Amino acid sequence: MAERAGAFCARAAALLAAAVLVLGAVIATARAQTAGPAADAPAAVTAAPQAVPLSDDPALEAEVMRIAHDLRCLVCQNETIAASNADLAVDLRGQIRSQLRAGRNEREIIEYMVERYGDFVLFKPPVKPTTWLLWGGPFVLLVAMAGWLAHMLRRRRAEVAAAQAPLSDEERRRARELLGTGAE
Amino acid sequence: MLLANNVLLMVASAAVLLGTLYPLVLDALNLGKISVGPAYFNTVFVPLIAPALFLMGVGPVARWKKASLPELALRLRWAAAVSLVTAVVTPFAFGDFTPLVGFGLFLAAWILLTALVAVHDRVQGLPLAQWGPRLRKQGGSWYGMILAHAGVGVFVVGVTLVGGYETEQDLRMEVGSTASAGGYDFRLVELRDVQGPNYDAVRATFELSKGGRVIKSIHPEKRSYHRSSMPMTEVALERGFTRDLYVSLGEPLQDGAWAVRIYVKPFVNWIWGGCVLMALGGLLAVADRRYRLRARAAQPLPRGAAAA
Amino acid sequence: MKRYLIPLAVFVVLAGFLAVGLRLNPREVPSPLVDKPAPAFELARLGAPGQRVAHTDLRGRPWVLNVWASWCLPCLAEHPLVGELARSGVTVVGLNYKDKTEDATQWLARHGDPYAMVLVDRDGAVGIDWGVYGVPETFIVDKDGIIRHKHIGPITPQALREDILPLLRRLGG
Repeated sequence: MAERAGAFCARAAALLAAAVLVLGAVIATARAQTAGPAADAPAAVTAAPQAVPLSDDPALEAEVMRIAHDLRCLVCQNETIAASNADLAVDLRGQIRSQLRAGRNEREIIEYMVERYGDFVLFKPPVKPTTWLLWGGPFVLLVAMAGWLAHMLRRRRAEVAAAQAPLSDEERRRARELLGTGAE
Repeated sequence: MLLANNVLLMVASAAVLLGTLYPLVLDALNLGKISVGPAYFNTVFVPLIAPALFLMGVGPVARWKKASLPELALRLRWAAAVSLVTAVVTPFAFGDFTPLVGFGLFLAAWILLTALVAVHDRVQGLPLAQWGPRLRKQGGSWYGMILAHAGVGVFVVGVTLVGGYETEQDLRMEVGSTASAGGYDFRLVELRDVQGPNYDAVRATFELSKGGRVIKSIHPEKRSYHRSSMPMTEVALERGFTRDLYVSLGEPLQDGAWAVRIYVKPFVNWIWGGCVLMALGGLLAVADRRYRLRARAAQPLPRGAAAA
Repeated sequence: MKRYLIPLAVFVVLAGFLAVGLRLNPREVPSPLVDKPAPAFELARLGAPGQRVAHTDLRGRPWVLNVWASWCLPCLAEHPLVGELARSGVTVVGLNYKDKTEDATQWLARHGDPYAMVLVDRDGAVGIDWGVYGVPETFIVDKDGIIRHKHIGPITPQALREDILPLLRRLGG
């Protein structure tokens, strides 16, 4: 009877999950294909002027964004300087741009930022004594745990081997005593 | 081997916890203020989770008998081959191929395919008619595992594709101009000054079309709240099953033009979807009566039940 | 039994850190410029664009740089205390940050001008050099041009009493 109930439970849960999934998929698809075409769709979308990139130099801009992506905006602190719309972020992007134009490389620009705003502005924490634990911790933990695991496995294997070894005479005598057979 | 996976998962989780709490601990100890961002997590987490994901594929298949390595390799050869092909071919559908994307897609396909292999194992040798009954007999924990693994696969697809193929454009647009991104056309139709309850805003109307057919209008805004000096940006977010589109207004430029930022993030919602699947899998597993039975079995036997 | 104490101990330690952390202010980013030479500048004075002041002109006595703007509400809140600081005898230099000349002049006319001089940083470039990321911010510079303290946010009576004035006295201002 418990079996029947258990199977029912599993089946009910599976059905529920399937229903939720199907529902979710239907909702998602419906939202993806939103309202139908407008009554009077614009005749010539292609004739409209094409938007131009904001910057005259897309390659430079890509480099600005690449560097800005690893810098933290101090105003909108959960955003990068690349993504943030804050005034300061716009200004700092401008700084990066003009410094790149002046020929500075990424390392110098990062140094410039850290000199003025401290390590906080870096999203990739610098490697210094206070961050050794941060950078090294996971690796050390991995080695430690792997070592511990290897040790435990070895010990268990030894135990299993010992348990499977035939009983010594002494052990056999004790076993007979405990089992109460008493025979020789 | 499966214990190795536990070690990897544990260390990976510990690494995330470490990275998250480290700035707090340093600041609390007055040792300085640092930031830990994606660069750290990618460097530390990815090498730990990648082998774990690979072993995750082996898990469901090795479960029900103690399979040796060569035997497992044999049973999983098709999954491996198809994963490899998927990993190499799919990127070209999106753009170019990068090793990181290929690697991510390989792991995702591997996990999804090995889950299928595990299902296939249960019904192997049975005629199609008996598949239903046999699968229904599996416990909640088995379903949970399959679902959760599928969730991980979906999650990895989302992370890989968004990481590899998201685009961002900074454009200068005026009323009437059109931008293209992610296969869609964005036409700036109107810019209007509107007044909210506690703010003044510039409201843009963008017409979203695909292949010449207009789909909908979206409205990013740039708001100036009366009490604040900093203008706030309201993003227009168009969610979809296969991609998210963001449009946001930047700064006003000369001649009534505006700086506009358009993001296309492919498959980003699969990240959330994968997590939902994982959660459902967990619920199913918890619902399995076997876990509840085991607790009962741990109770001591009543007196007198022991052998005389 | 003892094994269960380990997670508990870890939790207690963590909770301790979190408790301390909750009292910290994420907006206060410590400045790497403290105890370093003040960044060089050469700016025009508000209302007298012909007159330019350089960082070297301020050597010889401790002075205070107060970064403010007319569009900044907390600056208005701290303004009386800036006045108090100026009345204590120290030279307070205002840095008008990313502001319009007319707005700044009107603001000072309406709320009082305690500054020995106001320098105009129209585009915020000097602000970036000083690591300014918000307004108001206040820097204390000693007579040799070394920054000794940065106060983030509006000056509070407590900060004035406990940090700023005592430091200025120690620096001989």
